[in-house]
Amino acid sequence: MVIINKVHIVTIVFLMIGIILNLIPLPDLLAATKPPILLLILIYWSLAFPKHISLTYAFVSGVIMDILLITPIGYHALCFTITIYLILIYYPQMRLQSSWNKMASLLIILIPYFLMSTAVNNILGISFNLVHIIFSVLISVIIWPGLFNVLRFIRQKYTS
Amino acid sequence: MKSDLHFKESNITFLKLFVFLILSISFLFLDKDLQYGNKVRNNISYLIQPVYSLANFPSKLNDNIQTFFKSKSELMEENKILKKKIQIQSGIIQKIPSLTEENNRLKKLLDSSTSVNSSRILLAELIRVNLSPFSNKIIINKGSDKNLSIGQTVIDSTGILGQISEINQTFSVVTLITDPGHALLGVNTRTKKRIVISGTGDNRKLKAMYIALNEDVVEGDSLITSGLDNVFPEGYLIGKISKINKDMNQDFLDVSVVPSSALSSNREVMVLW
Repeated sequence: MVIINKVHIVTIVFLMIGIILNLIPLPDLLAATKPPILLLILIYWSLAFPKHISLTYAFVSGVIMDILLITPIGYHALCFTITIYLILIYYPQMRLQSSWNKMASLLIILIPYFLMSTAVNNILGISFNLVHIIFSVLISVIIWPGLFNVLRFIRQKYTS
Repeated sequence: MKSDLHFKESNITFLKLFVFLILSISFLFLDKDLQYGNKVRNNISYLIQPVYSLANFPSKLNDNIQTFFKSKSELMEENKILKKKIQIQSGIIQKIPSLTEENNRLKKLLDSSTSVNSSRILLAELIRVNLSPFSNKIIINKGSDKNLSIGQTVIDSTGILGQISEINQTFSVVTLITDPGHALLGVNTRTKKRIVISGTGDNRKLKAMYIALNEDVVEGDSLITSGLDNVFPEGYLIGKISKINKDMNQDFLDVSVVPSSALSSNREVMVLW
């Protein structure tokens, strides 16, 4: 029970860090192709503890993102929920994969996320640049192994 | 037994997914119609403000470091330039009272009743946070505590920026004129023709709409606000026409406008009354 509490606390701390990282101003081009860092952190934790860090976390952090980023409420919540559901389905396979395979799986999991967000953009009349979105996916996939190792190191240090 | 448990759990997960999907989709459509996101933000703005300040901290720190390490000679040089600028501008300002008087006299002669609205200016600072890359919104550090209201014009030193679309306790959200859902009525200064100018979502581009194929527009024409939309006061610079594309198969000209204000690299803005 103590360990599970620790898991929740560490996850919440990291999600907060992710939210701040998401908000930090960047130069124009970088800002446009910025990877969804909060989602990546969320994916890591739900891969590590799928029983505890699941859809509720995804939904709540999505709503918080919507409030902070002044997007229509429900936008990030919807996209995050769907992505984390995919993780919950595929985590047994994904855990066993090598690092390269993990990058490929992440690509496959992020594509529905970006399709979803472009679909919602279209419905709500928000403009977007497809090239930037593709770059954003590629950058997320490239930084994933590094992020994974850092977060795994932290997880092993603080939650066991 | 074990498979039973697993089945139960996945059932719960599916139920959760279903509930959250319904919730978020209904949130989306409710927010689109009722704008209650604004109310939510307004009620918890004291929680949002610290997060913004925290995210704003690195760029502020960077600024402070840069000013700290500026050499004395550089500062003196800058000071000189600024003093010169002020001198020239105050020289220009001297003429304004006589010009307004002349303007009023001429308007009386023409029997026109439009008056030059004297406007109050409030300086506000940008809170530099990285909103979603698709949003054409900025956040400024003045809110309902400074009696701002929705629809007020925000400008910078070179032109019009946008209008206030959401007000919270200590910060407010400005929708830029480059937002694809935003349009305003401008006037071509050369021909005095009115032009609808709409945003494109791109920070460096606006488009002028519904200009007939035979209308007199030239690249380089500057556009100012007309004051007819009852939102933006008259006479502020919007931008310059940068490119005209004439296609005889289309009904209207395809005209691009470059906004005159530095929409992406701003630090200080002014709110007009």
